Amino acid sequence: MRVRTLFFGATADEVGKRELELCLDESTTASQALSNIVEQFPRLSTHKLRISINLSYALGEEVLRDGDELAIFTAVSGG
Amino acid sequence: MDFFELTTEPLDITSVARRVVPPECGATVTLDGYARRFTKDRETGEVRETLYLVYEAYEPMAIKEMEKLVKVAHEQFEITNVGIVHRLGKLEIGETSIVISVAAPHRKDAFAACEWLIRELKRTVPIWKKEVYADGEQWVEGELVTQMS
Repeated sequence: MRVRTLFFGATADEVGKRELELCLDESTTASQALSNIVEQFPRLSTHKLRISINLSYALGEEVLRDGDELAIFTAVSGG
Repeated sequence: MDFFELTTEPLDITSVARRVVPPECGATVTLDGYARRFTKDRETGEVRETLYLVYEAYEPMAIKEMEKLVKVAHEQFEITNVGIVHRLGKLEIGETSIVISVAAPHRKDAFAACEWLIRELKRTVPIWKKEVYADGEQWVEGELVTQMS
């Protein structure tokens, strides 16, 4: 399945892009997808990361589906 | 009526504050959050001078999270209207980054809700701030959300 993955702020800087498409096995979970990405971009491992699926915070065990939009980012700092 | 918006234009505090005012309310509390020049490093305690800030958002999720916060605020406080506008892009020192206006029949609820909203927004709404110094820059990392429903 294909999953669109977005990066913002510090994670976009570490990855060097704002978006990539991931090809994942069926029934991959959010945290497995995250490990997969951190393996590809080890510099991400220096940050505490959060993940969202389709605009909602994910806890990790959610199973991804084809066409989902993931986002990987550091703790937010707006305001 | 509530509203939650992101903009790259300079914020006009008064116009945000006036938009939330309904006839049954007696007070509006407005937070004007702006870019600070001096920031103490949380790890080293060293004070650094910021030249300017850059804010970035995951826009559709940020709007959704703001909407969620306002919904919870209505459940927890006796308030009538809430307006939140967050600025994005480059901000000079002293420029307003966020305006939160809360209108309520009585000021006490407006103060409490406004404080709660800014605290929760800083924890949950996907917006990031980059501080740019004379000798470098860094994305500020806030506290991690432990669990979101």
